[in-house]
Amino acid sequence: MLRKRLIFALFYSQGNFMQSRNFRLQRVGDINWLERNFKFQKISFSLDELIVLNATKEEKDIVEFADVVKRLVENVFIPVAAGGGIRSLDDADKLFNNGADKIILNSALYEIPELVNQIAEKYGSQSIVASIDYRYIEGNPRVLINDGVRLIDMHLDEYLIKVLATPVGEILLNSIDKDGTGFGFDLNIMNSAIHSINIPLILMGGAGNELHLHEGIELENISAVASGNLFNFIGNGLPNARKYLLEQGCNLPSWGE
Amino acid sequence: MKLAIVDYGMGNILSLSSALDFIGVNETLFANDHDSLSKADKIILPGVGNFAMAAAKIHELGLDAILNDLVIENNKPILGVCLGMQLLGLSSTESGYNKGLGFIDGISEYFEDKNLKVPHVGCNQVQAHPSSKLLQGLGKNPDFYFTHSYRMTCSTEIGQSMCNYGSDFVAIFECGNISGVQFHPELSQKNGLRLLKNFIDLF
Repeated sequence: MLRKRLIFALFYSQGNFMQSRNFRLQRVGDINWLERNFKFQKISFSLDELIVLNATKEEKDIVEFADVVKRLVENVFIPVAAGGGIRSLDDADKLFNNGADKIILNSALYEIPELVNQIAEKYGSQSIVASIDYRYIEGNPRVLINDGVRLIDMHLDEYLIKVLATPVGEILLNSIDKDGTGFGFDLNIMNSAIHSINIPLILMGGAGNELHLHEGIELENISAVASGNLFNFIGNGLPNARKYLLEQGCNLPSWGE
Repeated sequence: MKLAIVDYGMGNILSLSSALDFIGVNETLFANDHDSLSKADKIILPGVGNFAMAAAKIHELGLDAILNDLVIENNKPILGVCLGMQLLGLSSTESGYNKGLGFIDGISEYFEDKNLKVPHVGCNQVQAHPSSKLLQGLGKNPDFYFTHSYRMTCSTEIGQSMCNYGSDFVAIFECGNISGVQFHPELSQKNGLRLLKNFIDLF
């Protein structure tokens, strides 16, 4: 049986890992802090996948970011998806060559859609995660790009149709309203067109504890849930959350101790 | 133990080589010429991406003849990973009909079931073939990480361990010195590391 996935997301910006709240970034610590407090090499059995996003608001340095990815993936034998600021095939190559197994596209989906085809031709559509950030405006989910700054003139459902017409392998759906709040996922979004998409769907934004992760992972059309909450899952937070999910009978792979 | 990873420019081979390093393979080389590949004890054929493009690159580099000589004529053990596994089979319909190396039976086709999410992404369980060497020590239904839109089926006996997604497909085959895995052992935590170790120790 195909398992669901528990994913942890890291937001990186100019030498530091950040806590994001409604897309505003707060510096938490550098890679040494992260290694001390999360020890991905030891706790990776608690995770099914790692997402690493370059969330720098200014110009994103892909070479520097690729170096960070390379260091993070060392002796971590789970899939790693990396993105943030990919504007060309060359940028994607850099991340793949430094240990990314998939790349994440967001603004490029809207601004340079032909890039999706170029990357898919070389690496296959299963290597591309389409990241979509949305927030509610007058009750409607609306899509924002450029790190949540630029509102595009499309309803989420319309945008999904556009994105799904390109060769992407998965959708990463992130609620800006819930991001970093620890209030739980935006479960209402499952009433939109998102519930019927025919590629894997990763739900992100708002999970602050294992109950939230449980709520999300039990949703029917969800393939994976992701949290990027550095504060709430520090130390043994992730191993404990996974243990809880397995005890609740969630359909996750069991790696043993 | 000297292990060669066939380098033909398809996909991320960093995680594969670091997994081999982690399980104690002391010498891993990336090569695509007869001379270097013939010096290796074992060969891994990796691959991420498009079958048609990969098959064209293999042909361009003359790797079809080189691998035929080493694997078929000289029985050197080989493990195909993901697309590398599919390339060891007869053909694929990805981007038109394209021939593989044809070392084993088995054809790769798209997951056609309309009710399925494609690609097939995530961990899934593999039903171990009773005489599987690659799965030794891993129980009857170990989890591995898959990510693919085309899957191999085969009507003849090639020592296949199956996986189910909509229908059964070949997750592993073990046919003498020729073996392949559809999933990514290098992304499948301790199960994957053990499988790679089994390939090193038992083939």
